[in-house]
Order: sequence, then C-alpha cells, then structure tokens
Amino acid sequence: MAFTDFTNLDFDQIRASIKDYLRANSTFTDFDFEGSNFSILIDILAYNSYLTAYNTNMVANEAFLDSATIRENVVSLARNIGFVPLSRRAAKANISFTVLGLNSSIQTITLKAGIVCTGSLDNTSYIFSIPEDITVGVSNGQATFSEIEIYEGTYLTKTFTVDTSQPNQKYIIPNPYVDTSTIRVKVYNDAQSSTSEDYSSVNDIVGISSTSQIFLIQEVSDEKYELFFGDGIFGKKLSNNNQIVISYITTNGPAGNGASNFVFSGILRDNTDAIITSSITSVVTNTPSQNGDNLQSIESVRYYAPRLYASQRRAVTAGDYEAILPSIYPNIESVTAYGGEEMMPPQYG
Amino acid sequence: MPLENISRGFKDISLSFLRHPVTNDIGTLSNEDAIKRSVVNLVRTRVGERFFNSLLGSKVESYFFELANSDIVDPLQEEIKTVISNFEPRVVVRDVNVALYPEDNELDVSIIYDIVGLAVPTQAINFILQPTRY
Repeated sequence: MAFTDFTNLDFDQIRASIKDYLRANSTFTDFDFEGSNFSILIDILAYNSYLTAYNTNMVANEAFLDSATIRENVVSLARNIGFVPLSRRAAKANISFTVLGLNSSIQTITLKAGIVCTGSLDNTSYIFSIPEDITVGVSNGQATFSEIEIYEGTYLTKTFTVDTSQPNQKYIIPNPYVDTSTIRVKVYNDAQSSTSEDYSSVNDIVGISSTSQIFLIQEVSDEKYELFFGDGIFGKKLSNNNQIVISYITTNGPAGNGASNFVFSGILRDNTDAIITSSITSVVTNTPSQNGDNLQSIESVRYYAPRLYASQRRAVTAGDYEAILPSIYPNIESVTAYGGEEMMPPQYG
Repeated sequence: MPLENISRGFKDISLSFLRHPVTNDIGTLSNEDAIKRSVVNLVRTRVGERFFNSLLGSKVESYFFELANSDIVDPLQEEIKTVISNFEPRVVVRDVNVALYPEDNELDVSIIYDIVGLAVPTQAINFILQPTRY
C-alpha cells in the first residue's frame, strides 16, 4: 500500500502504511515481528492515527444535515434553517359530561387544567388531561361540558425565576416526552404576584413587536425543549424576578390511541373556587382517542427541514405543499402534491 | 557505484530510550538481544492487550491466581511454547522450565531456544514473574 494513500481509516491499513515507510526509510528491521519493541511503537502510532481518523470522520459527518446521525446534531443543523422538529403528539379524545344538582347560587363551573379522565386500553390505564381550565355556565342546576378535547398524558408544571444576573439563563423543560402543542406559559411579575400574563408560542418573528408576549420553542439535547422569550425588540423582554410558570402534558404518544371508555377523575370548582362534589353523569365519548404520534424521526427531519426552508413557509408550488403539510398534520405518512397543469386535461387557475 | 553492505541481522529499538554515549543516537538492540527482548515481550503481553490483535500474548500472568502447585507447570510451559511458535518465527524453543516459589509468590521461568538463521549458540532467557500486588 502506498504511503501517500491518506484515505486509510482502518487500523491494519494504517499499520501497514507505517511499516511500508519504515521498510524504505529505516535501518531498523524488526518491525515485522509482533514481539519486537518497534512493533509496540507502531501499534501505538497506528492506534493514535486510527482514533484521529475516526474522530475526524465522525466530526465531518456530524457537521452536515445529510450525514449527521446523532439526533442533537441533526436537530441543531435543522435549527440553522429555522426548522423545529415536531414533538410527540398526545392522542386526543372528544368527550362530554354533565354536572347535576348544582346549587342555584353557582353561576359557573370550571374544569381545572390537569387530569380529567382515565381511559383504559389493552388492560392498561391511561391518564387524559387538559392543558388549560375550561369554564361553562350553570343553567337549571346543571352544567354541561360539551365536546371537550382531552389529551392522553400527565399534566405537569415547571416554574423558573428570571435572573438577569445570569448572562445565559436557560428555560429547559426537564422532560423529554412533552407534547409541545400543550405548552402554556404564564408570567408573573414576581413570586408574590397573583396576576399573570399569558405568553403564546410562535414559529417565527414575522409580525412580532417589542411588546408581543411570545415565546419560541427549540429542541435541545436529550429530546428536551428549551423556551426562548423576547429581547425587547422582537417580543416582550422578561424582567428580573419574573416567575415563568410553564405547564405541559407529557404523553405516551401513539400508545394512547384507541381509548374509548373514560372514567371522570377531574377537579371541578365553582365561581367561588369551591370544589364541586355534585353528581356527575358518566362520560360520553364523542371520539375515541386518536392522532397520538411519536417524536419526528431523524430521517423525517433530514427530509423536511431543507424543503420547508426552500418553501419559506409559503404554499405556492407543489413542492411547497409537500413540505408544509406534515408540519400542519403531524400524522401524515406521505404526501403527493401536483398542480392542475399536470392533470389530463390540464386545469389552470 | 559502490555496493552497499546490507546487514542481514536483526535490529530493534530499545524501549529504555537511553542515548548512545558515542553516537548520541537512541539505543538499539541487535540480533540475539533483539530476539530475546521480543520473546520476553510476547510472554509478558496479556491476551487482548494489543490493539486489534486479540490472539497475540499469553495467559502467563493469569497463573498467579492459580494455586501454586505442580498442576500449573505443564499448562504454563505449553502456553509459553505456543505463543513463541505462533508469533516469533526467528526462534525454535528447545525447552521451557518453570520453577515455583510459592513462599515468595514468584514463578521462575527459563526459556531455552535456538535462533533460526543466525550462527549463535543456543540462547536462554531467565526471568521471574511476580504479581504487581498481593
């Protein structure tokens, strides 16, 4: 093997190259014998070269979206072109139930954010929750929660205190199984404050002003999500000692699909914040749980990130539709889009 | 053009890395000394110790953990003969003697061999194997 063959990545090839060089340029002769001292040195040199070659190869691979294999790197490269991979999606069911025998003084009933029902499926019980409170009016001593959407998963909250003395404070949700569509953010002035402002999620900064109460989501390491808030130019900037309360639902993804029998386990409060213990009708299932899905795969990110970037979030060409549809409907397995001009006979306009 | 004398002997580097007092070059081992070092290296190398060569080496050091009786002598001799015949084509082993010193936790190993192709007398290596800790 030629000593100038720099493409060797295999330990034995590198070792053979070193020996070839020594054979032509050295007065030593014993390197061909495995027990010799020189053989030990050659092994160390070859191993060192092998490690360097391997690491260089891996680093180069991980630097490009096409060849990266570690999720964190694929996501990071996709982030550079403005692509946020889809999170797990909780299976959603649609249910209705009625609260009976309410006192006439009660005007409204609120179903608190958190667990609402348990649903059984294949001898496994799943928790179904809602990400925010639902309030309905009381009429004739009964309140009807009609067609409410419940999400398979556990409702959790995480509170951060803004500390402006930290130059690089991060707001990372400490759980990898989050359905990002269920993330709700409230910001309190400080820990004692009882009033809060709701912040909403955005995907880009188009139309965002300096007072917009927005946050952006980004997948970071270990399939967790980090929240970014405004800087006072694009989006409202947070102040020192602000309390950020992030609520979210962690889900089992597709495992929660198909549950249809639900038992109520939620918390109801009236307009005076008292807990309601009146009788509740059995839960009617309008739609069994469906559309739960896993985290967007690396292959999917690699495929859609450049296409979504090329479409610039517009839907003009057939390719744009192919790229943008999966970000709107995460359960799409494949998309075929074509223009009317390709039909027989062509249909324009 | 004058003919260059090419030595057909063996020449290896010395891992002591001491400087030669006259030439200031790195120390070398020649012929029977180089082969002796090679034989000792092979016997003292543990199996799996060399990168990407899981067959090279011997299990001699693992015999420290066996009971020090005559049962280990034959396997130990066989192990040494095998590793040398597999990886050191320059020698032919004549005999391997193993003496046990259980009170000192030592094995005294003597390897007697002939060097192939060199006009040198029969060689003998004697070394003591000791565990690094008790």
